[in-house]
Amino acid sequence: MTDVTRQSFIAGLTAIALSLGSGAAFAQSAAKPGAKAPDFSVVDVDGKLQKLSDYAGKTVILEWTNHDCPYVRKHYNSATMQTLQKDMAKDGIVWLSVISSPVGEQGHVDAAKAKELTKTRDAAPASILLDPKSQLARAYGAQTTPHMYIIDPKGTLAYAGAIDDKPSSSASSLTGAKSYVRQAVAELKAGKAVSEPATKAYGCVVKYAPVS
Amino acid sequence: MIATSLPRRTALRLLQRASLALALLAPAPLLAAESAAVTSPRVTATLLSSRDAVAPGERFQVALTQKLAPGWHSYWQNPGDSGEATRIEWTLPEGVSAGAIQWPAPKAIRVEPLVNFGFEDNVLLPVEITVPASAKPGETLTLSAKATWLVCEKICIPEEGAFALDLPIAATGAIDTAAQAQIDQAIAALPKPAGFTAKLTAKGEDKLALTLPGLPAGASNVRFFPILDTLIEHAAAQPVDNGALTLTRSTAFKVGAPTTDGVLTFDDNGTRRALALSAEVEPALLLAAAAPAQVPAKVTLPPPPAEDLTLLLALAFAFAGGLILNLMPCVLPVLFIKALGFAQVAQASRSEVRQQGLFFLAGVLATFFVLASLVIALGAGWGFQLQSPPLVILLAVLMTLIGFNLIGAFEIGGRLQGVGDGLASRSGPVGAFMTGALAVVVATPCTAPFMGAAMGYALTQPPAAALSIFMALALGFAAPVVALSFAPGLLRLLPKPGRWMIVLKQAFAFPMFATAIWLIWVATMQAGADGALAALVAILVAGFALWLIGVTRGSGRALRAVAAAAALLLVGAASAFVIESATPSAQPTAQAGTDAPGVWSPARVAELQAQGKPVFVNFTAAWCITCLANDRVALSRQEVKEAFAKLGVAYLKADWTNRDPVIAATLTEYGRAGVPLYLFYPGTKGAQAEVLPQLLTPETVVSAAQRAAGKEVKTATAQ
Repeated sequence: MTDVTRQSFIAGLTAIALSLGSGAAFAQSAAKPGAKAPDFSVVDVDGKLQKLSDYAGKTVILEWTNHDCPYVRKHYNSATMQTLQKDMAKDGIVWLSVISSPVGEQGHVDAAKAKELTKTRDAAPASILLDPKSQLARAYGAQTTPHMYIIDPKGTLAYAGAIDDKPSSSASSLTGAKSYVRQAVAELKAGKAVSEPATKAYGCVVKYAPVS
Repeated sequence: MIATSLPRRTALRLLQRASLALALLAPAPLLAAESAAVTSPRVTATLLSSRDAVAPGERFQVALTQKLAPGWHSYWQNPGDSGEATRIEWTLPEGVSAGAIQWPAPKAIRVEPLVNFGFEDNVLLPVEITVPASAKPGETLTLSAKATWLVCEKICIPEEGAFALDLPIAATGAIDTAAQAQIDQAIAALPKPAGFTAKLTAKGEDKLALTLPGLPAGASNVRFFPILDTLIEHAAAQPVDNGALTLTRSTAFKVGAPTTDGVLTFDDNGTRRALALSAEVEPALLLAAAAPAQVPAKVTLPPPPAEDLTLLLALAFAFAGGLILNLMPCVLPVLFIKALGFAQVAQASRSEVRQQGLFFLAGVLATFFVLASLVIALGAGWGFQLQSPPLVILLAVLMTLIGFNLIGAFEIGGRLQGVGDGLASRSGPVGAFMTGALAVVVATPCTAPFMGAAMGYALTQPPAAALSIFMALALGFAAPVVALSFAPGLLRLLPKPGRWMIVLKQAFAFPMFATAIWLIWVATMQAGADGALAALVAILVAGFALWLIGVTRGSGRALRAVAAAAALLLVGAASAFVIESATPSAQPTAQAGTDAPGVWSPARVAELQAQGKPVFVNFTAAWCITCLANDRVALSRQEVKEAFAKLGVAYLKADWTNRDPVIAATLTEYGRAGVPLYLFYPGTKGAQAEVLPQLLTPETVVSAAQRAAGKEVKTATAQ
């Protein structure tokens, strides 16, 4: 624990030093593969507080979602997203879906609606995080739905980017698509470095809440 | 003239009206310069033509027009942080071609805290159409386009539309003035060539500097829109200082080409200008893209050396591999006898030993040079020497004769020894040269496990680099013997020549016989029972011919000549028999059985993947010892078979024992010069295969099977 604290302290110092050095303001702090994944503490659909640090020692996948986005629908209507969630669960991986749309924006749901969506779509996330103030989205720099993040058992961000290599909303694009998530998870399991740790995410824009 | 032309014009008009009337009556689309509109509450889209009629051989502009409702936008070729570019798919008559979309300069549309690159209000996406010279006036040119676009406000809707334009073909084209003006205006507003080359360089760890030597001094509100979506963080500020923009590297930063393009927009004395920009990318940035930033979670295995060899490393690997080849059972005896020969000559003359060492080196280099040239020129793949049954049989004969010579069967007359094992043990420079050549020939089947990576790398290189890798291998191979010849002092470490030498020499016969047996087996795998017969007959005839020559050695000249002629005739006849009968058999060599692997073909892999089955492919050959060892220690093990059965893995075998261009091409594709190659394809259509290491264990195969099947056989151990 002390080790982790020291690490994050050093990482924080480095980040400050870097941004001072390059003269940039703290505009948007997108999480970077290879660096420590930003910790979080977010209420889930069961009213439980979900912390990333609770999952130390496990691989965690974050899926930014918006059930009305055509790109998200492509993956759910074809059941590829649900299959991926179930396969990951079998591997002992913690899958957290994240909804960052604020009240009044597309994709915003309350806990009951989120649970109902899981049931009707036969989805299998370990939990769903409600982020109506888009704080988690800001911390990770989530841009699109879907936008995928994989955090390794040591808490390092191992992958950030698209779900696959076919940036399209048409169902036919699923055939022959390469799943970046499956690839990264397989490489992590084999003890290898993730060969493509960062890709360009595609999809609908994440609807951000204004900074309050 | 005027009098006649007027009525003609009137007639033409009448005709046009008539055809228009006909067109109105017919269900076919209108002859018009603008297609029917595709409308949604967000977008009204049409295909607009600058021509009412087109002439053969002319080029003209059409445009996809999008009229967007307030607040909505469609996307540029790089959509920015989210979104998708508009796409047009054309269906055109033969000979007609359509160019790419000529993209207008995009707007940065803020969707806080993100940004999209696209268009609002009205946008025209011009495309140039070329009419073939063979187009016939009087006929109609039909342009059909299917366009897809994403339109977003905050929410996004994917839309598509089918557009058709029927344009009459006429001897001279007819411009649609209004449409032409609209399209001309759009084209005039396209980004202009910058007229200077920008430079993109690293600036600290996460910034980039874009140097713009041609940026006007008073330019303000400068923004760079890259076409590549993995270059920069699109929403980050782009401060300009001293003619250079500071950009923020994308978190998914990746540049694949030495130049990267984009559009630069800025205000210059109150006018908004847009330049089409090409930037030279600093080479270090190309490398930066390739390096994975990721620290692996758990390091268990060092990465296999095969992945990313530099030339220098490949040369080192090749040299080390050559050294190791000296220890191969088929090579060691040949070299050891040579070394003993040095020991004997060494007493007489040191310079002669050195000379022999150098000739041995020359023999090795020359033989490798010939083999390497063949491999590179023919793209044949390493091990191709063993794909020809007659060559395999020739090697078997050679091994047998060397074995008999070692055991002493040919030491009847003093000088006969030189004939007994071919030229290899003949003393002097020629003998040394031939020993080198022979050693290389007998070593070739043993190369796979140590040189697979180096040779695979070699074949992906330009010929000069490839050749130098083979030469490094040759140098490594020759090094021990050459070193001995230059340091005969080492030889003095051996016990004094005596009876032990004869015993050792005889003992070395047996590895040679073992090699011969293996080669006969390979010939049998290649050519069936006929192959075995041919090999054994060849050995018999070679032995008999040598015996004939040996037994008449002390006789008169005439008898010797008769014996030599008879031996030559016999060898000739036997060679003809071997070449005739030892032809590759068409039967697959895979044994029949319930769990016997299927026969590989790329189509079969695709078919099985489409059925959702993971596919394991074993690229192997009967003459490849590594392959056989892997079969024994991993692939035929019970736990592997069980895992395959449980996970529904389809097992295919690609047998390269005989020549096969499809297999050879696949090996090259995976950077291998020869077998073994093991591929595991996931059971998803079109998914890429995982390449397994060249030396297998049951664990590597089972875990690869689990990855390919995307599941564990046993319960996953909690992470």
